[in-house]
Amino acid sequence: MSRLPEQPGERIARHKQITFTFDGKQVKAYEGDTIGSALYAAGQRTFSRSFKYHRRRGLMCCAGQCPNCMVSVDGAPGARACTEPVRQGMQVEHLNARPSLEFDVMRATDLFGGPFTPPGFYYKTFIRPRRLWPLYEKVLRNAAGLGILREHQEEREWRTEYRRRHADVLVVGGGVAGMAAAAAAAERGADVVLVDEGPELGGRALIESDRQQLGRLVSAVKAGGVEVLTRACALAYFDGLVPVWQGDILHQVRARQVVFATGTIEQPLVFAGNDLPGIMLADGARRLAALYAVAPGNRAVVATTTDRGLHAALALERVGVQIAAVAQLRPDPGPVAEELSRRGIDVLAGYTVLEARGRKQVDGVVIGAVNGGAGERTIACDLILVSGGAMPASSLLLQAGAQTRYDDTRGHFALTDMPAAVFAAGEVIGFDEAELVERSGRLAGLDAVHALGRGDAESQAAAETVRAELSAGARSASVAVAPGVSGSDRGKCFACLCEDVTTKDIAYSIEEGYDSIELAKRYTTVTMGPCQGRMCQLPSVRLMAQQTGQSLGDVGTTTARPPWVSVPMGVLAGRPFEPAKRSSIHGRHRELNGSVKWAGDWRRPYDYGDPQGEALAVNRAAGVIDVSTLGKLLVQGPDAGAFLDRLYPNRFSNLKPGRIRYGVISSDAGRIVDDGTICRLDEETFYVTTTSSGAGAVEEWFSWWLADWGMRVHLTDLTQGLSAVNLAGPKAREIMARVTDLDCSNEAFPYLDGQQAPIAGVPCLILRIGFVGEVGYEIHFPSAHGEHVWDALLEAGSEFGIRPFGLEPQRILRLQKMHIIVGQDTDSESTPYGAAMSWIVKLDKEEDFIGKWALEHYAEEVPTTSLVGFTLADGHVPTEGSVVLDERGSPAGQVTSSRFSPVLRRVIGMAWVPTPLAHDGARITISDEGQTFSGEIQTQPFYDPAGEVLRS
Amino acid sequence: MSLEFLQVDGASGAPPARSPMERLAVAAGGRIESRDGWNVVVDYGDPDGEAMACAESVAWIDVSSLGKLEVQASAEDLAAVAAAGGAALELGRATRAAGAWWCPVTSTRMVVICEAGDTAALRGRLLDAAAETAERVSVVDVSTVRAALTLAGPLARETFARFCALDLRPDVTPVGALRPGSIARQPGILIREAEHRYLFLFGWALGEYMWSTVSDAAVHLGGRAAGVDALEPLGELAAIEEGAGA
Amino acid sequence: MSFLLTCPNCGVREVTDFAFGGEISSRPKARPSFRELNTYNYFRRNTAGVQREWWFHRSGCRAWFIAERNTTTQEVLFTALPGSEPEPAA
Repeated sequence: MSRLPEQPGERIARHKQITFTFDGKQVKAYEGDTIGSALYAAGQRTFSRSFKYHRRRGLMCCAGQCPNCMVSVDGAPGARACTEPVRQGMQVEHLNARPSLEFDVMRATDLFGGPFTPPGFYYKTFIRPRRLWPLYEKVLRNAAGLGILREHQEEREWRTEYRRRHADVLVVGGGVAGMAAAAAAAERGADVVLVDEGPELGGRALIESDRQQLGRLVSAVKAGGVEVLTRACALAYFDGLVPVWQGDILHQVRARQVVFATGTIEQPLVFAGNDLPGIMLADGARRLAALYAVAPGNRAVVATTTDRGLHAALALERVGVQIAAVAQLRPDPGPVAEELSRRGIDVLAGYTVLEARGRKQVDGVVIGAVNGGAGERTIACDLILVSGGAMPASSLLLQAGAQTRYDDTRGHFALTDMPAAVFAAGEVIGFDEAELVERSGRLAGLDAVHALGRGDAESQAAAETVRAELSAGARSASVAVAPGVSGSDRGKCFACLCEDVTTKDIAYSIEEGYDSIELAKRYTTVTMGPCQGRMCQLPSVRLMAQQTGQSLGDVGTTTARPPWVSVPMGVLAGRPFEPAKRSSIHGRHRELNGSVKWAGDWRRPYDYGDPQGEALAVNRAAGVIDVSTLGKLLVQGPDAGAFLDRLYPNRFSNLKPGRIRYGVISSDAGRIVDDGTICRLDEETFYVTTTSSGAGAVEEWFSWWLADWGMRVHLTDLTQGLSAVNLAGPKAREIMARVTDLDCSNEAFPYLDGQQAPIAGVPCLILRIGFVGEVGYEIHFPSAHGEHVWDALLEAGSEFGIRPFGLEPQRILRLQKMHIIVGQDTDSESTPYGAAMSWIVKLDKEEDFIGKWALEHYAEEVPTTSLVGFTLADGHVPTEGSVVLDERGSPAGQVTSSRFSPVLRRVIGMAWVPTPLAHDGARITISDEGQTFSGEIQTQPFYDPAGEVLRS
Repeated sequence: MSLEFLQVDGASGAPPARSPMERLAVAAGGRIESRDGWNVVVDYGDPDGEAMACAESVAWIDVSSLGKLEVQASAEDLAAVAAAGGAALELGRATRAAGAWWCPVTSTRMVVICEAGDTAALRGRLLDAAAETAERVSVVDVSTVRAALTLAGPLARETFARFCALDLRPDVTPVGALRPGSIARQPGILIREAEHRYLFLFGWALGEYMWSTVSDAAVHLGGRAAGVDALEPLGELAAIEEGAGA
Repeated sequence: MSFLLTCPNCGVREVTDFAFGGEISSRPKARPSFRELNTYNYFRRNTAGVQREWWFHRSGCRAWFIAERNTTTQEVLFTALPGSEPEPAA
């Protein structure tokens, strides 16, 4: 291992050795190393193979920005070696190279396929013949990609969760500006959260040898009680909500003010062979040396447009890297360049890099004058440092609504209009001198405090002082703007490393007419790879401008969209929230081996193993079903009757206390919305039941109209408060006699009566209704007694052959009686007239009611289709949704319910058919998966058509 | 016709009423006792440890047996009914009076939460007060419409943060604050009962769901289930009555 | 959509606490023509900008209220219980 002597800010613990494997080979590292720094120290230069051409790629940014060092860790692809900390025993593998990183057969695409695989090549080539696509797909998916998920992952639980964090101020970015902002806000009492992607606070200041400012700010942050989240990435800005990914937790930070101190992203230069291992961003090389004490190379050439590259040359020279030459794009040298010259380093002003030389890694570089001309020089070296300017990391600010404008003097897109409750500080708004960066951070912190309505005269004065100092102190000097590309006649120049898009590809797409940046992005996929534009947005804009003759400002940028970093799906998923409602009798259903399935947001037993037998038991003896899921609303008050008259097409104000009436709710468009029964408990109290799935919607519907009408009505949703069971069958009355003292004779308790009485000691509301076609008692009682009443009924009924029945047998029983199920037999277009329920609409009600006007209209129209029953002779149960054909064989309706009836011993169903066919005895033709079946239409219930059983 | 079929305390000859979380509590080792007509989990076999969790980390306690009475009336009548019970109503605040929490959810609807054994008497008092008002006042026993859990302990707020977006920071949600809002993506009503103690109500049918959601979050933070005996009686917690009156 | 909405009863909550009830439209006072009825039932202004709309605090107090919101910026100008909202600007 080749390490530098101890560096002042190094992160590694030299006394703690760690071993891990890379492609099966043992690698030694220190605690604190990243995979990247350890491998680099061990001599590894190729870290990955590129997406399309399978070219070698090495460490470049050392900050998790570029795609070059993506590896798979313990089987999970997508980790960046340069930021992923080492762990003892971890298994690191390369991505996207076969058979090995050193020898990759797909490299042929680079050597031979280059000119033949322009953008759109795959779309254009592999579209025909269509039938071969599955084969093409297999090959192409294997050839390209960013790693392979193991088909059989080891069983492992990965616990991820959300954490809500409310705060006064969120500061994104823990560099000098961010720390200053957080400290300034916290000192004045704000509750502050500070997040940073790195393992420790400091940002760019961490690579500086003078650590005095850093230490002071870290102490101030700590003293202020700021919650610091490290290794935490702010992913997006959604209307003030900032999701922050930190390991297994997704913090959902809702701060009243947000300060973005996100800094800048150092930009690469585009030249021939600009992707060769050994080419690094200037700061990347510095990070390697300063944080991990790894020498990035022995002999380096620096090419830079700004002082950043010059500072890197100085810093690396100080740790012993020989600087062979510095190509400085700017024609005027400046003080840093002078310092370099004094130290004997050759600084060539007006020069840039044209070509990187070397096969597996850099062994030389060609530099030349920017304006062409003479003076081209070839220099042997093993490291090329590039610095093409600094692009503000403004994505989150743009998502928040800030605007950008191209800044000619600085050569990048600068932020202009800041939205409310959002502040920016530091390098992201153009300060790069450490003292100014800190002041701009402090100002943002103070501004945030003032926006919170806190602060005082002292803090106001402090803010104004800093503001004045900042406007006096100039932002960084103007910089030379990097050319779109240089040396393009010498080899492939990559505008986008993630997707292997060359400058030729972009030129080609412009020729093809994709001449706006948004179109070129979609066509070439530039900015769409893992770096999300960090390394390629500005270069591709520069190229576009160069190619089209537009200014950079006119080319513009692509839209900033979340997430800012690639994030595992598991983190976004968080903990599973699956709000299931369960009846208070649910435990019993499980004990009875009920097949529990979802029914809306409830878990319900579909059957107890024998749906046909359960249905038959209801018709022959008795059955009991848990109907606790029914919506139950208490409607009380002097206007309760009038209120229901306005909500339902039929009348309830004339219902006698203790009596029950069926009701269908229609919308103002005359369409069926829900149905249920209403029992009048007393003059001012109605007990309304709704369908299980419609319970919530009906309550909202009622309270909405109530809010609009302002009637003297009180609504209470009792749905979950009451259990409900339906006891039905020829033996139901005898069973009731065993559990209650109430006189259940037909005279004392007739059909459609509602009475209160204790059952098994529990006070109940008993409704004599029966949508399963037998004498039935629907029993409502407090949920806390669910199992007790259920048990009592089953016990009392055991000698009569009672069986619990589930939803499926209930479907059979309802269908036998042609009781519609709203949403199953009706849809959003069904009217009461089409659904053969014209009897329920009372158009003679003088008062207005919801749906009246539409229903008046439909009353005079013959509906196109009508809902009828049908029977099929040959025993086939048609699939629900099967098509009903008219006499010409065209689709004219559909089957909505179909079952085999065990008591009738034939197939029955309901269907929407053309109205002329909707009469008893007409033939119905049903097409079900290619076969046609013929049946007979029936308009009266299949079972007990006169309803005598029900009323007996 | 009365609304007796809504009243748990109306049962006679029936076994005690049961919480929707009882099966899960028993499976977790809960020891059941019958109190005031309800099966109540008094402890999980480790009363000291449970009390310690309430004081030092976080514990969840099934308090579904609490009586809950809903009162609807005009704003003036609602205030009058509350005043008769010794409570002054203010949106966003739960008032502690007569051993109950008086919770105005809107200006025309409140929920009064009391100990299970006090439910019948309180209902009677509310109905008496309702009889004095100008317009109709509706009093409905909703004890089994909503189940209830208490989260107690210094990590209670951090536990809520795992499944609830309410801002529970002390300056935003002081003791006595009433916060109807989404809890684990379901309608809920939360009351900050004390410094480190929150009571929340949610749909009865969601009992098992809420138990599993809360226990998952709390256990991960080092918390545990506790029986009702681990809770200090509210009256003995400092300054609640004064705080609510302020 | 992650903006905050102030329930007139409960205070500030995440928008996910609420159900959207659509833009406010007025139900005809007297029997409308069939065309007017269809307009009322099926046509919406779909404003890109400020509009008044119904919201329901589904996870909280379960009350309906009125909000004025800019549909392009998600800025909420006011929320109020029905009857206490400011007069619309002419």
